[in-house]
Formats: sequence, structure tokens, C-alpha cells
Amino acid sequence: MGTLIIGGGKVGLYLTQRFLEHDYDATLIENRRERYEKLCGEVDASHLIYGDAAEPSVLERAGIRSADAVVCVTGADETNLIVSTLAKMEYGVRRVLARVNNPKNAWVFTPVMGVDSAVNVADITARMLAEHMESKLDDKIFEENPAVDRPV
Amino acid sequence: MKIIVVGCGRMGSGLARTLDRANHEVTVIDLHESAFEALGSSFRGLTVKGVGFDRNTLTKAGIDRSDGLAACTSSDDTNAVTARIAHEVFRVPTVIARLYDPAKAEVYRRLGIQTIGSISWAVGRALDMLSYSKLDVIETLGSNGGVELLHVVVRPLLVGHKIKDLSVLGEIQVVALERRGQTMVPMENTVIEEGDQLYVAAHIVSIGQLQEMLGVERVK
Repeated sequence: MGTLIIGGGKVGLYLTQRFLEHDYDATLIENRRERYEKLCGEVDASHLIYGDAAEPSVLERAGIRSADAVVCVTGADETNLIVSTLAKMEYGVRRVLARVNNPKNAWVFTPVMGVDSAVNVADITARMLAEHMESKLDDKIFEENPAVDRPV
Repeated sequence: MKIIVVGCGRMGSGLARTLDRANHEVTVIDLHESAFEALGSSFRGLTVKGVGFDRNTLTKAGIDRSDGLAACTSSDDTNAVTARIAHEVFRVPTVIARLYDPAKAEVYRRLGIQTIGSISWAVGRALDMLSYSKLDVIETLGSNGGVELLHVVVRPLLVGHKIKDLSVLGEIQVVALERRGQTMVPMENTVIEEGDQLYVAAHIVSIGQLQEMLGVERVK
């Protein structure tokens, strides 16, 4: 039992540390040599795997057969998608989550590609910012409108 | 047929040009406009600049009425994702992906993605050429040694051919065939399978011809 995290960037590292702090089992897979060496100083080596997660042997070494969740957070959508497909279709992982890097690719992150839940960071950020700006705009309308505070 | 080729490198451009010459309707997708130069001036197909698994790009390339798609970019992951989208989402009947890493081929095949492993193919071919079986002389028959009995393990080249393709009346005759531990006298229409071993009687003057047919060397 445990979670496989694919991609040891800022998000992947943070997620792994959070899991381990809360005593959940997690294994992080990273395929950039330099980044992997940096991660070795941050996460215990028993929770780290060096290799390409799109390669079945690497996923198996990381324990995908007994994993109950896989989280794909690399910076490459094609990698997140193909690992999701492998995790769901080949290994039957119960829960597969993937990060959408380019919002234009969001439509592909579906159960057909093995993705149970997609996290579209750019979309979420943009929506929050837009919401924020709209509420600011509303405030401004109220402030500047001479009709405010006058009887109807 | 209408075919989409994703990735206009050496393989993609070569495939696109060959299909175009054979009068198929070809559309090539690549990230870089400059890649299309490899298609040459005689290319009559369409080119679309964009990512191979982008919906707009694929729609612009006419994927909804395509008979086939070949994903041959330099990234295995991109090829696999593109192939899967083409097959699962757009229901393109025939989809193939180029795969560099032979370790992934089997799993991708199980995911319904037909792959072409250019590396494993080349390795297989090289191995084949380097280690082809020799024509072993088992016995020299007759007091004057006019006929030799030879043993040969068939090469992939021969698979699918019939015994009669190897026979030359009065000169070369396949006398026995060993297949999966069983030895039989083959009929002239028996089809040669992978792993078969043949016992061939050949007149001494016809050995050269037999070697040519089998593509092997003779060792004494």
C-alpha cells in the first residue's frame, strides 16, 4: 500500500514530504540525474527511485503492483498521460491523478487515458485571479457610482 | 487512403513521401515549420504546424476522416499518447507508434498501441546477419561423392516459402524436415516455419545455387 509520485519537481517533492510527515507511505520517481541527486538530500533514499516512469520496469521497482494511488506531476503532459495510462490499464491502480501543464491539453486527461482526476493548475490559478479581479471591479463600481447611498 | 503522419523527422518525412508517391492523401504534423522542408518540393500532401496530440491540430489535419495515423516523433511518450488518442478518441482504424525503447513495446502492445521499434528491428536484423546459420555437410553420399546431404536451420527469409521453392528437379531435393522435435518427409507444398531444420540432398555442382537460395555459407 502506498502512493507513487511521478516527477520530483517542486510539487512532487513537496507532496512526498507531506505524505511522509503524516506517516503515509510514498515513493518518488525522478529521471533527471541532477535533480535526483538533489532529492537524495531532501527525502530518505528508501522513498526515491531513479528512472523513467514510462518504463514498466521502473514502475514495478517502485512497487506499483501494491500501490493504491499514482500521482503524475512531471512537467511534461505526454509523460503524465502515458504513466497514467500504464498505471490504470496495465496495473489497475485504484486512484490515478495527473497534473495538466498546458491547459490546451486538458481535454485529453480523461478516464480513457487512465486519469481519474486531473489538476489543471493554470486553469485554477486563472479562475482565482479572475474572480479576485471581478470582486475588486465590483467594489470599484460601488465606490464610484454616484447612485450609491442615495434613495431609489 | 487518408493518412496522418505525426513528426516530420527522417522516418516521418520518408513515410510521408512514400505514401504521397503511392497516391495516398497524406497530412504531416510537426512542431516546427522548418521540418516540412524534408518533404521536398514534389510533395503534394498537406502540412499542419502543431503538437501531435492537440485537438485543434488533429482536427485541422482531418483526423475525423482518416484511415490511419503514424506517430513518429522523437519522443516515445508523445508517440504513445498521440496513438492512443487517435485510436480511442477519434477511432482512427489503424494507428501505429514509433518506439525507441524496446522495453516498452510489449506493454504498449497490450494497451492496444501497435509499435514499430526501429532500434529492436535494427538489432534483430544485425544479429540475423551476423549469426546466420551455416550449411552443414552431414554426409557425402556415393563412392564418387556426387551428392551431399546437408543440414540447415531456416532463416527468417525462408519462413512462409514452400518446400518446392527450394527444389530443383534432378539437382536439389529437401528430403526431411524437423519441426518442434518431429521429423517428417515434407510434401512439395509444405510451408516452411520459423525454427524448422531442413535436410537437403544436393548434387555437388548445385551447392552454390542452394547456398544462394538459402542465403548461407557451406562449412565442411
